[in-house]
Amino acid sequence: MNSETLKSLIASGEIDRVEMTRSTKDVDKFREAICSFSNDMAGRGEPGYLLIGVDERDATFRLPITDELLQQFASYRSDGQILPLPVLNISKVPHPDGDGDVLVVQVTPHDMPPVRYRGRVHIRVGPRKDTASEAEERILMERRAANFPTFDATPCPEGELKRLDVETFRQTYRPHAVAEEVIAENHRTVKEQLAALRFFNLRRDCPTNAGMLMFAYDPLDLFPGAKIQFVQFDGEDLADEVVAEKTFTGSLITVLSEMDSFLKGRFTQKPVAISDLREQAVFDFPPDAIRELLMNAVLHRDYQSTSPVRFYQFADRIEIQNPGGLYGEASPQNFPGVNTYRNPIIAEAMHVLGYVNRFGRGVMRARRALEENGSSEPIFKFETHHFLSCIPKHPQR
Amino acid sequence: MKTLAFFNNKGGVGKTTLVYHLAWMFADMGKRVLVADLDPQANVTSMFLEESELEKLWDPDVDSKQSIMAPISPLIRGLGDIGPAPVRSISSRLRLIPGDLNLSSFESKLSEAWIKCLDRDEAAFRITSAFHRLIRIAARDFDADIILIDVGPNFGAINRSALICADAVVVPLAPDLFSIQGLMNLGPTLRRWREEWLERRSKNPEKSLDLPIGNMTPLGYVILQFGIRDSRPVKAYDKWSQRIPEVFSKSVLGDGEQLSLDDSSGHCLGLLKHYRSLMPMAMEARKPIFHLKAADGAIGAHSSSVKDCEKDFSKLADAILSGF
Repeated sequence: MNSETLKSLIASGEIDRVEMTRSTKDVDKFREAICSFSNDMAGRGEPGYLLIGVDERDATFRLPITDELLQQFASYRSDGQILPLPVLNISKVPHPDGDGDVLVVQVTPHDMPPVRYRGRVHIRVGPRKDTASEAEERILMERRAANFPTFDATPCPEGELKRLDVETFRQTYRPHAVAEEVIAENHRTVKEQLAALRFFNLRRDCPTNAGMLMFAYDPLDLFPGAKIQFVQFDGEDLADEVVAEKTFTGSLITVLSEMDSFLKGRFTQKPVAISDLREQAVFDFPPDAIRELLMNAVLHRDYQSTSPVRFYQFADRIEIQNPGGLYGEASPQNFPGVNTYRNPIIAEAMHVLGYVNRFGRGVMRARRALEENGSSEPIFKFETHHFLSCIPKHPQR
Repeated sequence: MKTLAFFNNKGGVGKTTLVYHLAWMFADMGKRVLVADLDPQANVTSMFLEESELEKLWDPDVDSKQSIMAPISPLIRGLGDIGPAPVRSISSRLRLIPGDLNLSSFESKLSEAWIKCLDRDEAAFRITSAFHRLIRIAARDFDADIILIDVGPNFGAINRSALICADAVVVPLAPDLFSIQGLMNLGPTLRRWREEWLERRSKNPEKSLDLPIGNMTPLGYVILQFGIRDSRPVKAYDKWSQRIPEVFSKSVLGDGEQLSLDDSSGHCLGLLKHYRSLMPMAMEARKPIFHLKAADGAIGAHSSSVKDCEKDFSKLADAILSGF
């Protein structure tokens, strides 16, 4: 994007692709615009633009485009209010009329619409800003990329609707993902309800891999690796005696909640002396750190692999290993700053269910929990086909 | 910018929980919300902030200057005027002025000042309007649309000074004898404070001082903690619930005449259930009930209760906004 392109964009008067504003505070409006551009109801296949610091009626208006402002807009990608994660490109472009800059948010149409902001599908058709009707939502679903961008979006022909725990989907998942007034309309079939959230493919009339993994009572025959294997060893390596063992299997929605309860009572706080006069209560392993790294493994793992997520507790450390190395643009050099999602639909689902609060923060939060507990740094190992987190036990526990 | 206080001289009705949930609800509705915790019990602060943050806030060894006490201290020690109010950002649309257990030490200063205002004493006006000015500055900084004030359950000087900041007052009630008796005292007291402040305001010697108007318009009441079946009050509470409208209009609104039955409930802003098992879940997750997700334990039947709770609070928030 340069000033020339920006100039013609401002002059184009295309209201359904360009939104200009001089305010930096109208967060709702920005997110609605990002959501509408992602949905690209008009089907132009061209990006939409949010231009901050332009006033058509006042050519002299300028806004200081600070780093803080750039970060504010970058956070709209990852705070999980807009799902699935929108594809944004945020840049500072010199104002076409000289002195000063414009903040340009370029929004690429999503390949898995409908995209929702707080459970509502926002769209623009010409001057009309609205939320999508059932018919419009259907049009968006049909427009999904024919070549499936990720494994979890791919249809699973061996899967069937009757294998899915539809009750849980309706009671527990959908109310958190879709706005109430949409649910109240109530004309959609179960398949359409699932499809609207990317768990079903209407054209092939079968669930997607994400739908099977999330909601199938028993997805193991199709995804042999879809489980978490916990083992506790009485020593420092695999040759030592096993003192406890548990495997978590089933739909991801039950695995996650069982895992959560399992972790809740597992780690204990005890007071240790941090100086001659002071004691501090410390965990052997801070539960927050373990939880974040486990969730990371579940979210980023390669579900085509037959290996489980391995969660091994040794006398001196915990190792969490998942199949699938760093994905997409992520590399050992930029980890954990850059992330691409191998399983965007599962990522979206984990946010809807509340297991992920903000995208791209898990590793940071785990590090902070360890630091506050006085533990040593976690170690991450990147292999071609595996990713390993190693969490040291507190030295005094 | 509207300032709303929640006040009931009978404690334990669930007032703080109400303030906490309404603050989140208004923020969810797109409003910019400032919560001022002027209750020396500081309950609403302990709902918003983590244990470890509270320790830092109130640790006598840490001079943190992060609670309402920081700007008030100079006044208590007689060393000049208020400093800037410490504000905690809870979310992009929600901020908190944290309360403090030591706020009770401001009580006697405020009592003295209330009397001295009649002598046109400038310092007395500075003290009496301290809360108001703190809140105004913090609200302007944040560009707040709505300010919620939580106060303790008594008729002390701290509450008087906190309540005169309010444009409107909401009374949270439990449907029982105590609440009805409380109402009978609450109404006349509010009216007396309003009149007394009006009289004092005219005696202010320092025209540049930003003083509250002290409207304290009674907006209505909210009934809390029902053991509700099918969204209707159970028998035992029914009797009291039916008496509330009359007592409210007589003693709080000061209407002498008898109400006709159809507008008798006009001042009932909402009924809130107990949400029994959800409340502890919400406290543990440090979220309002209507933000609970599956990961917090809101699964199956709880899921639909979460949605019901959201409806109840959104209706209540609308009723409050339209009452302004």
